[in-house]
Amino acid sequence: MNDQWTNRLSEYLDGELDEAQRSELESHLAACDACVTTLAELRQVVGRAHALDDRPPVRDLWPGIATRIGVSTDELASRRARRRISFTVPQLVAASIALIAVSAGVARLASRQPTRITPAPDAPSGVVVQSAMFDKADSSADIAVDQLRLALAEGQRTGRLNPLTVHKLEHSLAVIDSAIAEGKRALASDPQSAYLNHHLADTMRHKLEFLREANRIATART
Amino acid sequence: MLLALVAVARLALAQDTDTTFAVRQGQRLDVSDFGGSVVIKAWRQNSVRVRATHGSRDYVTITTEGPTVHISATSRHGPAMVDYEILAPAWMALSVSGTPSAEVTIEGTEAEVTVETVEGSIRVVGGSGNISLKSVEGDVSLEGAKGHMELNSVDGAIELRESSGDISAETVDGGITLLGIESSDVDASTVDGSIEYDGTITDGGRYRLESHDGDVSVSIPERANVTVSVATFSGDFDSSFPVTIKDKQKHRFTFTLGTGTARLELESFDGSINLRRPGQVHEQNEE
Repeated sequence: MNDQWTNRLSEYLDGELDEAQRSELESHLAACDACVTTLAELRQVVGRAHALDDRPPVRDLWPGIATRIGVSTDELASRRARRRISFTVPQLVAASIALIAVSAGVARLASRQPTRITPAPDAPSGVVVQSAMFDKADSSADIAVDQLRLALAEGQRTGRLNPLTVHKLEHSLAVIDSAIAEGKRALASDPQSAYLNHHLADTMRHKLEFLREANRIATART
Repeated sequence: MLLALVAVARLALAQDTDTTFAVRQGQRLDVSDFGGSVVIKAWRQNSVRVRATHGSRDYVTITTEGPTVHISATSRHGPAMVDYEILAPAWMALSVSGTPSAEVTIEGTEAEVTVETVEGSIRVVGGSGNISLKSVEGDVSLEGAKGHMELNSVDGAIELRESSGDISAETVDGGITLLGIESSDVDASTVDGSIEYDGTITDGGRYRLESHDGDVSVSIPERANVTVSVATFSGDFDSSFPVTIKDKQKHRFTFTLGTGTARLELESFDGSINLRRPGQVHEQNEE
């Protein structure tokens, strides 16, 4: 799942590799499905991040700063246009969860193709994701959970969903949340562990897939 | 007495549909059931026989749309609950959806299969090409298949036997059993359940078995060329044969057998990871 190129995909996407490295990576991509998949996901996340509303600040401090350091505002516009967004692989996992949960909302999750994210098993220590990032992603998923619960309650009220089905979905969600809680506690005790980072990211991916599937059921029309 | 009356009333209202129609090569069969059981068996004729048991006010509808033959049922109040017994050509691709529930059994097919149900279990024998079986609160079982297999459940176990091809199996609350497998690409993952794998480890293949709270047991053929990565937070590791650990970190270690061209990743946060010889995996867990 992880090789010397996995953590250079972001640089590749940003055009930061030299010609030789780029050529070598492209040869590698021809034979490595995992990197092709990761690259596609990276493109997707970056594309969606770019698509987010780029709201101007309430008070733009740049003109004053630009004047003081002698940079024109035109140059700022140019830099903004070249804005790069780079993620390491574990960050990509957490970012995907946060982006999908927040920007899409659970109702729109159902129409999406599954996001297949394969974290690298032996990431170098530099790519450890801070637990705060997981917390943020998980709290974003909570919004989707709240919406799911409303949809389940509505399905049960109208008789479209069997109470046992709702109970089992709630139970499965509790199983995942319990695993996430255990993963977080373990990570807090050993924040540098690449395995624990990846395991927690993968468990959160389970939650995302679960929410997508549960929502599909809750909102399905018979 | 009340039970007897109910049974009589159901018999009185029950009605059977029994019809047979010709199909041609390349057509697909799509069955939609609101609730009940769907049993499809393959036969060697180029026709489909549909036998359905349903209420007297329910109607079974068979329509053709492009290459797809749709079978569904309706009542005055919407979708109807029907028990189907269908005979279909072995070459005919099959799709069954049961919302909210359907118990689905398919036997003898040699074609693509797609099944989605919420409350029922799925059991398929046969199938080739793309095979996708998905249940929410039922077990998923597949046997004798070849191709690209995706098996999913939420609150149910997954079992795959005597099959070959790419395998993806995922559940939240249930075990995953993969026995008699020929594959170079296996990905199995559960949150709360054990995983068993007994099959080939092909040179250059990729195998990933991951559980949060359950044992992971895998058979390693005698002359396998594989790099094994084992990771656990609070579980144990046990091997039926000696291994020489090459790279050890706090929660992960790796070792190589033979030339190590295949990659096997075994992870269990809170369970044991067991390496066995072929045939010992299921044996060990049945003891």
